[in-house]
Amino acid sequence: MHPILANASKLGMYLLAYLPIGIVLVIGLGHRDAWGTAAAFFLPLTMLYAFIGLSAYYLCLAFPIDSDHPLWRAMPAHMCAAASVGALCVGAAWLWAAVLESLNIGLQPQVFVEQPWVLFVVGAVLFWLAIALHYVMIASSASQRSEQRALESGLLAREAELKALRAQIDPHFLFNSLNSISALTGSDPSAARKMCLLLADFLRDTLRLGATQRISVNEELSVVQRYLAIEQVRLGPRLTVNCTASEPARAGLVPALILQPLVENAVLHGIAHLLDGGTVTINAECRNGALQIRVSNPSDQARPRRKRPGLGLLLVRQRLQSEYGTAGQLHIRDEQHEFVADVSIPFATTEEPSNE
Amino acid sequence: MNEANQLTAIVVDDEAHARALIREYLMQHADIKVLAECSNGFEAVKAAGDLKPDLLFLDIQMPKLDGFEVLDLIGHDAASVIFTTAYDEYALRAFNVHAVDYLLKPFGAERFDEALELARIRIRTRDALPIRELLDTHREGAAIDRVLIRDRSNVHVIPVEQIDYVEAQDDYVSIRAAGRSYLKEQTLGELEVQLAGKGFLRIHRRYILNVSRLAKIELSEKDSRIAILNDKTQLPISRSGYSKLRGLL
Repeated sequence: MHPILANASKLGMYLLAYLPIGIVLVIGLGHRDAWGTAAAFFLPLTMLYAFIGLSAYYLCLAFPIDSDHPLWRAMPAHMCAAASVGALCVGAAWLWAAVLESLNIGLQPQVFVEQPWVLFVVGAVLFWLAIALHYVMIASSASQRSEQRALESGLLAREAELKALRAQIDPHFLFNSLNSISALTGSDPSAARKMCLLLADFLRDTLRLGATQRISVNEELSVVQRYLAIEQVRLGPRLTVNCTASEPARAGLVPALILQPLVENAVLHGIAHLLDGGTVTINAECRNGALQIRVSNPSDQARPRRKRPGLGLLLVRQRLQSEYGTAGQLHIRDEQHEFVADVSIPFATTEEPSNE
Repeated sequence: MNEANQLTAIVVDDEAHARALIREYLMQHADIKVLAECSNGFEAVKAAGDLKPDLLFLDIQMPKLDGFEVLDLIGHDAASVIFTTAYDEYALRAFNVHAVDYLLKPFGAERFDEALELARIRIRTRDALPIRELLDTHREGAAIDRVLIRDRSNVHVIPVEQIDYVEAQDDYVSIRAAGRSYLKEQTLGELEVQLAGKGFLRIHRRYILNVSRLAKIELSEKDSRIAILNDKTQLPISRSGYSKLRGLL
């Protein structure tokens, strides 16, 4: 559907724009003593022409102009169309003149049809104008659409970021930690204070790092270890941590807090379900230009497996994909006794110039 | 405080600090005597069976068996229960639907005392906890992945795919799995609902069959049929059971 026809107020404005054209025709071609005849003849015809002019839209869609389609290729079609429209104008004028005449109300419009070439030329030239205007309209709406798309995708990225942030601070974790602090205040005030400080540091980290793009593996590991230290207070000897990274890997950059959901998953869905607990193992290496980080934990074999990875893991995968394309990957292996998450991204120690 | 008013309690939580906190709050209540502390669901089921406490402080998130599963297993031995949880929207929903009191971690001494007072009233009036309804709301009609069976103080966890068939025996069901039979206090109808969509079919008033164990169907006399399982066990098939089975195969 033509965008002008689809909208009543736009259509009204469009038809109003044709009124001056009709008036120019009345004044230019009418006679001083027969304005009524000229108006009765030209104004309805102009309105009819307004609708014919809309057909230029489809012509413009059929013959788009861009780098692959130069204007001259569309010219023959436009010429033919303009000529047809000119002829149509002459035919319509002739018919309308006959109708007005037959009404016998003293109108003598035959004089206008006696010069068909004038009508033909006016019809054809106006149609070319309509074509030109339609090209402008199509181009501007296309640029508007692409602007809107860019805006939308920006919003989506923002939303994903927010969701990721919210997922990073798991309410279960927060309330359990607060409960540990509350319990420790009675029995071991200094441990309670230590827990408070750990929690404060961790929350500060997540808030500060949410905004920045990339941080070093070293920094990322220290955030994760802070989280694990808090969980160690809560779970006691059931949780142990083994964190290793090669020297070159430590300098590599990762999206901030990318490991956090993996480690949280290892604790909440792994260690916390084992009576005797276990060790969360984190290892970072550089291999063949790739930074590979593995987070693994023992898991309860009797526990029903989840059919799909949880939301936290899906967000990690989504984030890797949007930041690195196919080069950013998360592999998950959910085995009988062990759960393994492997992150692989291109190794880089400096932020690449963004091409956005 | 005389002996008759003394109440016994068990504290169940996988976190030592959380148990210590409840103990600390209980010091203000001379009428409550803590019989045991349990750090997981298995211990809780065993302790509840052995010690028969009046009151249970029960955490929801625990390894192996969560609070609801513990409740499912101790069923009729269930004392009055005070649930504790940090954050679990499903649990909270179930509690709210059935107006069951619970403690949200972290909780203060005042809130704790309030919950304890409510529990005392429930114990005095022998107001039973709506266990079945609570469990149903918590599961939200979802099929189960494993069946929990309590055998004196032991707990067996049987993944549903290991079950061959289930037979009704009065108020119990006998669950046949991995060459053994387990008795559970439950109706066959209840279990049928829980196993829906897991490849099980009620083939007879008294039997639910794991369809993957079926070897063949034979016609016995007087146009009744019997199911022969892979291990040569024979089970009767009712007429409606047969038409359901045919619809499935």
